[in-house]
Amino acid sequence: MISYIVRRLLILPIILIGVTLLVFSMIMMLGPYERLSTYITDPAQLKNVDVDVLVTKLGLDDPWYQQYGRWISGVARGDMGWSESAGSTVTQAFLNRFPATAELGLLALLPVVVGGVILGVFASVHHNDVWDHVSRVLAIIGWSVPTFVFGLIMLMIFYGTLGWFPPSRLDSWALDIVNSTGFINYTNFFIIDGLLNANFAIVGNAIRHLIAPVITISILWWAFIMRITRSSMLEILRRDYIRTARAKGVTENVVVYKHAVRNALIPVVTVAGRMVLGLLGGLVITETIFNIKGLGQFMAQAAQQLDYPAVLGGTLYFGFLLIVINLCVDVSYAIIDPRIRLE
Amino acid sequence: MKRSSILILVLSMVLVLSLTVGAFAQVNNPNTFTKINMGTIDSLDPHYQYDNASSEIYANIYENLIMFKEGDITQYEPLLATEVPTVNNGLIKNDGTTYIFPIREGVTFHEGGTLTPEDVKYSFMRGLIHDRNGGPWWMLYGPLFDAGGLSDITEQVVGVENPSELTAAQSAEVYAELDKAISVDGNKVVFNLPKPNPTFLSVVVHDNGLGAIIDKEWSIEQGAWDGSPETIAEYYDPAKESDPLHEQTNGTGPFMLNTWEKGKRIALDRNDNYWREPAQLERVIINYIDEWSTRKLMLQRGDADVVYMDKQYQSQVENLDGVEFISGLPNLYTGYGLMNWTIDTKGNPDVHSGELDGNGVPSDFFEDINVRKAFNYSMNYDAFVSEVMDGDGQQARGPIPEPFLGFDEDSPVYTMDLEKAEEHFKKAFDGELWDKGFEITILYNTGNSMRKTASDMLKYNIEQINPNFKINVRGIQWASYLDRMIAGKFTLGFIGWGADYADPHNFTVPFMRSDGTFGNFKGESYKEWAKENGVDSLVNKGVEVTDREEREEIYKEIQNIAYEYATDLYLYQPTAHILMRDWVQGWTYDPILHDGIYYYRIYKAQE
Repeated sequence: MISYIVRRLLILPIILIGVTLLVFSMIMMLGPYERLSTYITDPAQLKNVDVDVLVTKLGLDDPWYQQYGRWISGVARGDMGWSESAGSTVTQAFLNRFPATAELGLLALLPVVVGGVILGVFASVHHNDVWDHVSRVLAIIGWSVPTFVFGLIMLMIFYGTLGWFPPSRLDSWALDIVNSTGFINYTNFFIIDGLLNANFAIVGNAIRHLIAPVITISILWWAFIMRITRSSMLEILRRDYIRTARAKGVTENVVVYKHAVRNALIPVVTVAGRMVLGLLGGLVITETIFNIKGLGQFMAQAAQQLDYPAVLGGTLYFGFLLIVINLCVDVSYAIIDPRIRLE
Repeated sequence: MKRSSILILVLSMVLVLSLTVGAFAQVNNPNTFTKINMGTIDSLDPHYQYDNASSEIYANIYENLIMFKEGDITQYEPLLATEVPTVNNGLIKNDGTTYIFPIREGVTFHEGGTLTPEDVKYSFMRGLIHDRNGGPWWMLYGPLFDAGGLSDITEQVVGVENPSELTAAQSAEVYAELDKAISVDGNKVVFNLPKPNPTFLSVVVHDNGLGAIIDKEWSIEQGAWDGSPETIAEYYDPAKESDPLHEQTNGTGPFMLNTWEKGKRIALDRNDNYWREPAQLERVIINYIDEWSTRKLMLQRGDADVVYMDKQYQSQVENLDGVEFISGLPNLYTGYGLMNWTIDTKGNPDVHSGELDGNGVPSDFFEDINVRKAFNYSMNYDAFVSEVMDGDGQQARGPIPEPFLGFDEDSPVYTMDLEKAEEHFKKAFDGELWDKGFEITILYNTGNSMRKTASDMLKYNIEQINPNFKINVRGIQWASYLDRMIAGKFTLGFIGWGADYADPHNFTVPFMRSDGTFGNFKGESYKEWAKENGVDSLVNKGVEVTDREEREEIYKEIQNIAYEYATDLYLYQPTAHILMRDWVQGWTYDPILHDGIYYYRIYKAQE
């Protein structure tokens, strides 16, 4: 197992270089004036300066490999240019917004995966009976209702009418606390910081604000994971070894939960990997409706504003995220099915 | 239905109703005022900012020498000065060329410094030296120096056009000229004008950030202008983000900055050491949420006390419980489509190819009067006023809005006429434009549905005229919107001008004069045109003459020039409105602050 992980880790730098080359080639497709913005870390650099002089000064007309060397060393130091839409460096913009997105995404992850798998297994075990039909109909509804409709309905019922789950990340009183000097923002994840500061009111408030967006996200992904799990389970349950197990008198619970579920999880893990990428990459609509100033909203804004440094920074971020998630997925495959390690 | 089901249903309804009613039965957070706006603010530096969103923040943190009387923008009362200068009290002398302000004693800044007349002089001098591109300082250069900006003075005194190129010696010479205008005499600050100017007091009044008084010592410590006569070049036209007062404040006003989370939230705390009675509100929070549904729900829940609303959503809020909607307020505002006559095409995606080749537009696209007229004939003004503005407003008739001198409800205006538009498009660029077509991107600031709709209307109508005409509409954030204008990269986009003071001069300068705010944004060819065609001198004459009828004729002529030459696309003069909880008390409409609120007078109570 360890050698398998080490092998995967050794390939990582090559993939990383590939990703950076891809992003750099995108930068090179821009004109020199647009490219300039990916090298600027303070707009004051552009004040009272001839742009052509600056292009030469920054070496933007040098051979590509020299420019790549300079750019990659800048990226390694966290210099990815100035984001016009954020009014700060790209790195700072990402650092400001990542916690909001990650907190939402990670909190949604567990209920989505666990809920989706449980529903999928449940539906497959009750194949073609009323529970299966109900689950499938619910899945179709969950998959069909657009997020902006479901999100707004959630907001109207659970905030507008009931007042239970307000938008934004925290109430004003709670924001005052986290912005005060007495509260240490270790991670800018309010739940974690609340715990680390032993301020459970903040933890409770952050969770309260996350429930509606988490449910909004969950409905869509539950439906998806449930369908994948169900079809994978149905396929596994028809396999010979399952039939053999049943013939040997193994109880149905052991057949399903010990022998079938584990093997059915391979496609679910693949989908879950994609889902994690989607969740950590930001959810534009959910973030907009619930006023969560996260990466999704920021990236949409940056793209709309043709904020090249931010968009390219985002591409790099997604590239890295994809690599890490793929690594995790590969490792998960190996844990679920030991034969994969041998391959 | 089973009995148990009915019971559950009834209990659920009771629960929902009780929770709903409970939410509205009392004032939420009586000591905290929450406003939900959209977009962003540009800067916290009172001398830099020049937009409505930013001015609201400045107006509650900083103070000027005088302010308007509550609810009356024709009367003044003292603020940091102890008296409003008048001829009768002897504080306006020498035929209206000397204004004397006795400075209030015992006033402290939020960071602890004490207000002195030197702070007042430093504040004005710093702003005059900054004179950032697209900023407000032209308003003071007029009365104080009979000039449009610092570059006029540097050119006049040392022959240098760009103040950032001044040597230390030249800087000292220029400073000496500036210094003549403002002096300290004991506890008084004296302004010396080259000639009488009736607008002077209305320029330095509270509501205009340029008159905000900052703490000299503290500002220098933060890296603001060091007070030296020799450093003008270093501090002229600063980059927004490197301006030391861009993100931090230190005023004398009723509220102090607690937090500015860019694009998210601004929190102000009450200044308990305020020189007047402290404000009733302990805290003011301004959240920025672009999504209207979220803003509306927050108002309904009572989590917001005031929310920004575009006029088109009026029908959704008219009968909301606990919500007060006041509309039809007079609005000294002109909304228009700014056409950049010299677009900077370098690295500018909005001009596409940047050439007249059917795949973009050239830099001088809007320099052609036929293009401008064609765009003017392509806007459906009636539909805009009746549908988008819900009838609350009128079509703009030029830069000057009602009720100022020069506004004439019988003056000519453009109406939508696609045949005439086609005629002008065919004439543009000697017919080349019609044959080749064009592609252009026009911008709007995100969250402003009215401007988006106006842009979409233009797109829809113009693309019908010729299949080779392509218009893209793209939203960007407010601060970036302004930055693109300043950088000359703007193509066409809708923006507006609200009065800084109640005089048509405040509209003719920014819209029409070559060095006016929008004149500057319209590029070199507009500037040349305005100078050569006597627009500049006409605008200047408008404020120089004292005869009312003569002034009126001048302003009517300016309105007519705007129409004849289709300098831009004058679209609307709206009425103003406010949407707030009915527990908001003490609110009075200030047409200069527009939808900004002076929170000092506000409190929350259910009546």
